[in-house]
Amino acid sequence: MRVKGLRETGSPHERRSGSETETKPAPCRCAFALLLLCCTLLLAGCGREQVFHRESYVFGTRVDIAVYGGDRERADAAMAAVLYEFDRLHRAYHAWEPSELTALNDALARGESREVSPELAAMLRDAQQIAARCDELFDPALGALIELWGFHTDTFAPVEPDPARLAALKAAQPRMSDLVIDGQRIASRNPAVRIDLGGYAKGYALDRAAAILREQGIRDALLNIGGNILALGSKGGQPWRIGIQHPRHPMPLATMPVYDGEATGTSGDYQRYFEIDGVRYAHLIDPRTGEPAHATQALTVLVTPRPNAGVLSDAASKPAYLAGDGWREQTRRFAIDHALRVAADGRIEVTRALRARLAFPSPPADITVLD
Amino acid sequence: MRPFRAWRELLQPGDYAVMAAGIALCVYAGFNLWRGGAPDGVIVRAGGNIFAETDLSRARRIAVPGPLGTTVIEIEPGRARVAADPGPRQYCVRQGWLTHAGAVAICAPNEVSLMLTGRGGDFDSLSY
Repeated sequence: MRVKGLRETGSPHERRSGSETETKPAPCRCAFALLLLCCTLLLAGCGREQVFHRESYVFGTRVDIAVYGGDRERADAAMAAVLYEFDRLHRAYHAWEPSELTALNDALARGESREVSPELAAMLRDAQQIAARCDELFDPALGALIELWGFHTDTFAPVEPDPARLAALKAAQPRMSDLVIDGQRIASRNPAVRIDLGGYAKGYALDRAAAILREQGIRDALLNIGGNILALGSKGGQPWRIGIQHPRHPMPLATMPVYDGEATGTSGDYQRYFEIDGVRYAHLIDPRTGEPAHATQALTVLVTPRPNAGVLSDAASKPAYLAGDGWREQTRRFAIDHALRVAADGRIEVTRALRARLAFPSPPADITVLD
Repeated sequence: MRPFRAWRELLQPGDYAVMAAGIALCVYAGFNLWRGGAPDGVIVRAGGNIFAETDLSRARRIAVPGPLGTTVIEIEPGRARVAADPGPRQYCVRQGWLTHAGAVAICAPNEVSLMLTGRGGDFDSLSY
């Protein structure tokens, strides 16, 4: 009975609306279309979502988080959770203020082993594997060298390191492969090993942040930790766009779109450096020479979506930066096809895949495209 | 040719002056009003929060307090820079004048950032 009743009320309605459409005069139809158009445009206006920004200072650098759309409370809560996590990582793995990492370094210097958190053990194991893939050019074990060059301090003065200590450290060759990782127990075969996660932690933090945002239901966001960027989703259907800083001028060298899950990082000689007698000493130390490298001004990698894309965007730009003219071979080892190098003389070299994405505000004079 | 000559005879010396003035105006406007990539505003943040948001039309100095002391932002028509900063490395000061939309100077120790806004800065974040 009930089914029949529904049918009875349904059919006259359908008939009525059908006949209305057929008999409606043309001007009236136009007005209706216009009204519909107006409504659509008005609705589009209502639906225009905005980007929520949060800026903070962690890891000794600027953190910038952008979340697209949704309501402000949810975006704020998610961004606060991310910054809380960054604070935790900053305190836990600080390279020279007392932290779990400095406690480990002290133990290794005494020739002792030490039990660390599962997270730190996993990070060290991962960093060890990355180092093995690039002939140890990515070398978080050379914390003592970075300190010797004066980069382990908040109050910074240009110093040339004591030659005797520099030679001794160079000879000691602290490498990630010296670490013996047994579960959560860490030991070192080389007492010169001092772990500094400066080339790893920001990337790790990006991956953590992406996980936290996804857990909180945020699908569209752009994370920037000191120039290392990871993109989630898009900006209302349009890809996020990023600029790549020019290493010598206060303007972007190029801009490009980044898509969901992609991460990008730049190693350069212009963010942490000092100059003595016109020579620039950057914070990126070549483990082969024990000295800052001079062959490259900036090296940018774009890591396509994969697990730990953030970590790779941070870590994989270091060996390519230090390798000088051998940068392309280093990026290949990490299956990275999108990379750009500004050599010491200002020459630009870029992979074909990345060139296709780049837009140059002012076209560079000297640019080489590589496969 | 003949119609053109007839038409030209109607022109007075003043008409040529008007035409010349028109062309001069176009060239002048092209050079002075074409602002591709030029910034039109500046955002100064302290500790992550917006401290000042202003246009670049007139010269002024903004003193921004931070954990280490005062960072001084200097604005001139069309450009801005960090004039002084209490941070130890002075990278943001050494960057000099920012003149392009999207350009950023970051004084991380004192937690102050300076960003130029405008149509040319068509990107959401900067990789550095």
